[in-house]
Amino acid sequence: MVAKWDFDADDARLSAYALGELEEAEREEVEALLARNPEARAFVQGLRDTVAALEKGFSAQSSPGLTDAQRTSILATTARPVRRVWPRYAAAAGLAVSAAAGAAAWMWNRDTSKELALGAEKRASYADVARARKSSLRDLEGLGYTGSSGYAAANKPATLKAEMEPAQNPAATLAPDVVYVGRVGATPGLSVVDSDRLADDPNVPRLEAADDFTSEAYAPIVENPFRRTRDEPRSTFSVDVDTASYANVRRFLVAGQLPPPGAVRIEELVNYFRYDYAAPEGSVPFSVTTDTSACPWNPSHVLMRIGLQGRTVAQHERNASNLVFLVDVSGSMDSPDKLPLVVSSLQMLARELDARDRIAVVVYAGASGLVLDSTSIRARSAVLDALERLQAGGSTNGGEGIRLAYEVARRNLVPGGTNRVILCTDGDFNVGVTSQDELLALIEEQRKSGVFLTVLGFGTGNLKDSTMEMLADKGNGNYAYVDGVREARKVLVEELGGTLEVIAKDVKLQIELNPAEVQAWRLVGYENRVLAHQDFADDAKDAGEIGAGHTVTALYELVPVGVPFEAPESGELRYREPAGESPAAFTGEVAFLQLRYKEPEDSESRLLSHPIVRATGEASVDSRFASAVAMFAMKLRGSPHVAEVAWADIERLASGSLGRDERGYRVEFLDLIRRASELQR
Amino acid sequence: MTDQRTTTRDDAGWIEQALERHESALVAYAARITGDVDTARDVVQETYLKLCHARREAVEPQLAEWLFTVCRHAAIDLRRKLGRAGANEGFDMAEIEGSAEIETREEGARALQLLARLPGSQREVLRLRFEGGLTYKEIARVTHQSIGNVGWLIHMGLKSLRAQLAGDAVEGTVQ
Repeated sequence: MVAKWDFDADDARLSAYALGELEEAEREEVEALLARNPEARAFVQGLRDTVAALEKGFSAQSSPGLTDAQRTSILATTARPVRRVWPRYAAAAGLAVSAAAGAAAWMWNRDTSKELALGAEKRASYADVARARKSSLRDLEGLGYTGSSGYAAANKPATLKAEMEPAQNPAATLAPDVVYVGRVGATPGLSVVDSDRLADDPNVPRLEAADDFTSEAYAPIVENPFRRTRDEPRSTFSVDVDTASYANVRRFLVAGQLPPPGAVRIEELVNYFRYDYAAPEGSVPFSVTTDTSACPWNPSHVLMRIGLQGRTVAQHERNASNLVFLVDVSGSMDSPDKLPLVVSSLQMLARELDARDRIAVVVYAGASGLVLDSTSIRARSAVLDALERLQAGGSTNGGEGIRLAYEVARRNLVPGGTNRVILCTDGDFNVGVTSQDELLALIEEQRKSGVFLTVLGFGTGNLKDSTMEMLADKGNGNYAYVDGVREARKVLVEELGGTLEVIAKDVKLQIELNPAEVQAWRLVGYENRVLAHQDFADDAKDAGEIGAGHTVTALYELVPVGVPFEAPESGELRYREPAGESPAAFTGEVAFLQLRYKEPEDSESRLLSHPIVRATGEASVDSRFASAVAMFAMKLRGSPHVAEVAWADIERLASGSLGRDERGYRVEFLDLIRRASELQR
Repeated sequence: MTDQRTTTRDDAGWIEQALERHESALVAYAARITGDVDTARDVVQETYLKLCHARREAVEPQLAEWLFTVCRHAAIDLRRKLGRAGANEGFDMAEIEGSAEIETREEGARALQLLARLPGSQREVLRLRFEGGLTYKEIARVTHQSIGNVGWLIHMGLKSLRAQLAGDAVEGTVQ
């Protein structure tokens, strides 16, 4: 017999139920309890009466607002000329999108008119506003938006190309990204984002679209919140060496637009730059560097930096490689910043290789095909010619192409060598394998053959950033966005070793914070790389790779003990006693870092550990620069944590920490800060 | 309808709407932290000025959370600078208005009066919920605690209010 849930007046679910905060499953449990237990029914009725009394009280309460002068000064601030950045969400949208946008607009106007109607004499009560806000949410949910929190209200409907031409291209409506647009659940069998990590967050799988870049798709990012060390002493995540987001952000800014917030992945911006970490010693393939300094956006907090430096591999020591170029030659690639750039990028790579290496070229469009079977680089001109002849045309059968490319890679597998598929695309996979789930399952399956994946994103207007990032994540891969020849050179020549040669795979970090030193903490970025704690030691769980010479940097914002921090004591928790500290808590360590990785050919992980002590003294040049990049990214994302920070502050911090900057990437970053500050005025 | 070509006027418009919606709740909320209405007003004005300089499209999807987070930071910061009591415990100032101990029969006013006697941590989440209109999840992010903890504090608060409103003095002690 299934144990029935007994009535317990201390069960917080009863209030959550009365306030409409429960998910369906729990709501049903409570309803079943209420149906069989009159005492519970009476209790919940009492809670409802209390809620009603509070609402009544608040709505009758005359509350002081701002003074008229204050209100005027705020509105005067907004009256200066403002350059609109990417306003035209609904411009090119199809029916479903317009309907959603219309409803959203209606709801907004309705609330406003209600408040305006009450006018100066009597402002709408809080409770009214709160209720209106809630019912707007319900309206929106009725249209198929999932998610129960306040984010839904203002989420802009995405405009996606596939929505505009459903008739011509029935498969296009199945393109995974489109699922987010207003019709979640309407198409059976389609689920949206695979990732377990994202699954519990209703806010994550909704895409935002970017204005003129009409059918680009980005998954919104919900910033990691502060956590109290006593509630949650551990932080577990997978490394991420991708840099695509930086190049993509740069592309937007150079084009005179602010990037959509979902395009800004903080860790990818930070990791775009090289930091001067110590070279690894001994058998461990990377070194670990940690430091702490005052947090530049909140000086009473501490910024903790964790840096990994992968072993570099000299050109002559590089493993023999077996590369398969998988090139999207569909119609959408027919643009100067796409296929021609792909061709010159891959030719650049082919010129870097030598007699040990082999290259094959597979294309995909309406049909996929082998353009060049695996060929030794001794016949370099044959490879270059094959690339030169690529032409765009047709629709995209990404799935078939991926299958074929992996097959060619497997046939020519070099044991112990570099076996890699290099996918060049703008990210459209609208024929063949159609759902994102299927595509990811295919990639995960192929990964087992020991073939790694590099995803190179190209072009504007159609970029499926979210799809490509996930492909690389699932396929033991890395993801770079190529916005020009210069970036191609960085990824395929300067950092070729890192792009091709894996030195460690499934690299996971777990940081345990010391409650005697740190009262609260927040991981900056890595939002879609957060792992469940129990997956840290589970070698079956996939995580990120590190390539030769790669650096990985993670930043934590820590609130030291003794600094006023506005988190209430959780002593009121029912089941928990304040935990006692072990003797290690009083050693002055702020955190304990554990790291797991596998050698490229291994299936068992190795464990490293490293205590982190609080440093005194000045922040290093690299630490200051990394924090400037993080602030820049947070500001683009509208993070409340940097609400006080001005663009000029970021520029000052960055320009004072350029270091050697041999290739000029940091100077270029200064230019991006200026562009962003001009766009966001 | 949402015009695609948004103009300067609409930019002022969204701030105006943000004022209409949240201004009073923010002032009331900040006043419980700073201890007086005038300082609270300064904090809220500051919060809105920051809003004017933030990215609309990034902030708008999380507007309430953003405003309450920034306001809370600023209020606690200011309280510390002014060296006021309770600087280390977020929401622990005495209630301001309604602290007059006039017994009232009116249910709504009575509920607020009882609310003022709850522990600060419960009071804060209840205010954010009913005055600010925030969801559990938003409250958790604003006050830096888990959603479970928010649910527990709200439940404890409602439970004791319920008991006291029902005149049930036995169950009505705050736990």
